[in-house]
Amino acid sequence: MSNKAAKNLFIYGSIFFFVIFLALTFDTMEKLDKRAPAITEAVNAGKMAWHKYDCIGCHTILGNGSYFSPDLTRTANKMPKEYLKQYLMNPKALNQKAAMPNLGITSEEAESLAAFLDWTSRINTNNWPPKPILAKEARIEDKDMTPGQRLYRSFGCSNCHVIKGIGGATGPDLTRVGNKRDKAWLIGYFKDPRAYIPGTVMPAINMSDADMEQLTEYMLTLK
Amino acid sequence: MNIKHESQRIAHSFYTFAVLLFLVQVVVGIIAALQFIWPEFFILNFNTIRTIHINTLIVWLLVGLMGATYYVIHEESETELWSLPLAKFQFWLTVVTSITMVLGYIYMGINPQANSPIFGINPLNEGREYIEAPRWADFLIVVSLLLFLFNCFMTVRKTKRWTGIQGTLLVGITFLVIMYLPGMIYTKNLIRDQFWWWWVIHLWVEGAWEIIAGALLAFMLMKVVNAERGVVEKWMFVEVGLVLFTGILGTGHHYYWIGTPEYWLLIGGIFSSLEPVPLLLMVWNALKTTGKPRNVTNKPGLYYIVANTVLSFVGAGLSGLIHTLPQINKWTHGTQITTAHSHLAFFGAYILLVISMIYVTLPAIRGVKDYNPSRAYQSFWWMTISMILIYLTTTGAGMAQTYMERLMGLDYVAVKITYNMWFWVFRAVFGVGFLIGVVIFVMDFFRLGRESSPVMTTVAE
Ligand code: HEC
Ligand code: HEC
Ligand code: HEM
Ligand code: HEM
Ligand SMILES: [Fe+2]
Repeated sequence: MSNKAAKNLFIYGSIFFFVIFLALTFDTMEKLDKRAPAITEAVNAGKMAWHKYDCIGCHTILGNGSYFSPDLTRTANKMPKEYLKQYLMNPKALNQKAAMPNLGITSEEAESLAAFLDWTSRINTNNWPPKPILAKEARIEDKDMTPGQRLYRSFGCSNCHVIKGIGGATGPDLTRVGNKRDKAWLIGYFKDPRAYIPGTVMPAINMSDADMEQLTEYMLTLK
Repeated sequence: MNIKHESQRIAHSFYTFAVLLFLVQVVVGIIAALQFIWPEFFILNFNTIRTIHINTLIVWLLVGLMGATYYVIHEESETELWSLPLAKFQFWLTVVTSITMVLGYIYMGINPQANSPIFGINPLNEGREYIEAPRWADFLIVVSLLLFLFNCFMTVRKTKRWTGIQGTLLVGITFLVIMYLPGMIYTKNLIRDQFWWWWVIHLWVEGAWEIIAGALLAFMLMKVVNAERGVVEKWMFVEVGLVLFTGILGTGHHYYWIGTPEYWLLIGGIFSSLEPVPLLLMVWNALKTTGKPRNVTNKPGLYYIVANTVLSFVGAGLSGLIHTLPQINKWTHGTQITTAHSHLAFFGAYILLVISMIYVTLPAIRGVKDYNPSRAYQSFWWMTISMILIYLTTTGAGMAQTYMERLMGLDYVAVKITYNMWFWVFRAVFGVGFLIGVVIFVMDFFRLGRESSPVMTTVAE
């Protein structure tokens, strides 16, 4: 190949690939609106707050950003909205060990951030993040679970609590809660957490007495 | 060897600023690493520290490449710069803009409310990774880049010697400037936001910068081993051609999971898997061209050139290849595996490129006949070994994270603060090793040719 041929190959070849890339870009832009819910004013205000506080400097979203803190794409699915808002405004008030600083987010901003995160949680991401296929080994899904364990799972307690390293870190770790609390306390607490800790985000649990018994039994085995 | 054109000295100012920012970047990187262990370790939060770490990185690489380009343009055009005062102005514009920008990040870190939008625009920090620079700084950066390009083009016009090397170099820089623009638009939709954001990030490091690297490699091979122009230029066209043929559509490897259509999985997977090919070609080119016994006078220069191509292939090519297929990326996306790749890739492909250019051109700028090469080798090994160890520890953390968080469903925070703690500790330790290498390099930069030392290597005409 002559020098000139190599040069022409570089120039025209690159233009060729760039044109294809542009065509795909146009096609993608056309399709995007169908892959996520409509963007309301609140969602956009949330996105502005997202940029203002540089959340991406610590978090990833859609898997891109910084790897210092949890990915927030699907957070709204696991954190109830009121809880999320309180968390944003003062993370340490909800979870003393949280490494997220208090950024001075106002309640208005928290409201729109919650709307923004709710929007991201509904983007069609080609199934990312994937379902954890080894969850069985981690004993998150197990046929031999006790009734109490099943209740713990179906009420979504693990969204906020960790047991043996599994779960969300926003509520206290329950790995050894059986050492700390007794049956009467737990039942009273589950029925009305706010009577114990005013303003807590720990939800009151509404279930039959038999189920409550099972769940509490399970808690007491955690030692 | 001496420079033939007085205005070539402008490269020296650019190199000096670049080298100082390199030092800041790495010190700040170590603070970031310590914050993984103690989040409240420093007065500034992690996000501010990380922003400073990656912005100083990008700025010093750009500044170093500008200095290198000014140097090359003179030699290829065989003339003085079109306007030296303009180049000096452009230099100070860059310095003042980048320092003000960093002070703005620090201020925002202390007082986040100061970043409240004014007319819809964040005044201190745009809150988008790598391109945190606020809009006013974006404009000043673009102005500085345009002045730089204009000066280069006017210089070439003086003698009309359109060599392949400088043509390619200027094409690369023009592409770089154009690709900065998609980062300057605000979109309400986060998917569009990330789509255009990757044009800047990916089409820079795997497009425009790679073109510049190909041209500089050809230039350096000519300088150091007197390679024949016709031969190195042909290699160069093939290399940068393949970079773009694979790299442009390879952008698809960032469009798997951000809400973009499914066909990107196929396109991104295929084209990005081919991206290591041109990088391997550069290694072969460097080895073949420098392999024949010749009377090489600038040994450290040669050493760095070859190391640059090899580590670029390993750091960018192989470490990229590992996680570029959608089947794998699905699990590793957004984990520390990415961080590991970022570090080795930037180090191998661009940190070593700028340092190579410095070792190839600095002796001539200083008018040095002899200099002691031992510090150049020492700093190389401190940096390279530490970087490989940083890569390995971060990859370890990434593998644990991928396994426990993505496959087993454990919580992010639980994995980070328990299972991965030792990886953070070791990364910080190796970071200090890297800093030692940088300090040796910076010392060498300031002392080279300015001290009377025993003659070790001779840089002859
Ligand atoms: C200085 C770094 C930093 C910044 C900036 C930051 N965060 Fe966080 N964030 C964290 C860390 C660390 C955690 C994990 C908390 C823990 O240790 O339990 C966290 C946790 C969270 C959580 C809980 C996630 C979960 O899965 O439990 C949410 C929601 C959140 N952050 C939202 C935000 C938003 C929105 C912003 C921007 C307004 C933001 N964060 C800015 C560091 C940060
Ligand atoms: C929205 C998050 C959330 C959910 C869901 C949740 N909790 Fe809690 N839980 C908390 C928080 C936060 C606390 C700590 C109370 C406080 O300080 O506000 C707590 C406290 C507790 C405690 C007391 C722990 C102690 O050491 O004092 C127990 C036991 C408990 N939760 C069990 C459960 C169970 C069982 C479920 C499921 C039915 C559940 N939680 C669901 C957030 C949650
Ligand atoms: C040429 C030098 C290269 C540099 C400097 C570089 C740098 C980077 C950086 C900084 C990121 C992270 C971006 C972020 O913060 O989110 C990244 C991501 C990535 N790179 Fe590279 N890269 C290079 C080459 C390559 C090559 C050749 C490949 C493929 C063969 C590759 C594959 C990837 C992939 C797949 C990701 C996405 C990771 C994820 O899913 O999170 N890179 N690269
Ligand atoms: C030349 C050397 C270096 C280069 C080119 C470099 C580059 C980068 C880049 C591109 C990022 C952002 C991308 C990402 O996180 O994926 C980053 C983040 C980071 N760097 Fe560096 N860095 C260097 C040296 C160091 C050193 C010596 C340390 C200290 C050990 C360090 C610690 C960090 C940390 C902790 C982060 C944040 C990672 C995260 O978000 O998880 N860096 N660096
Ligand atoms: Fe890429």
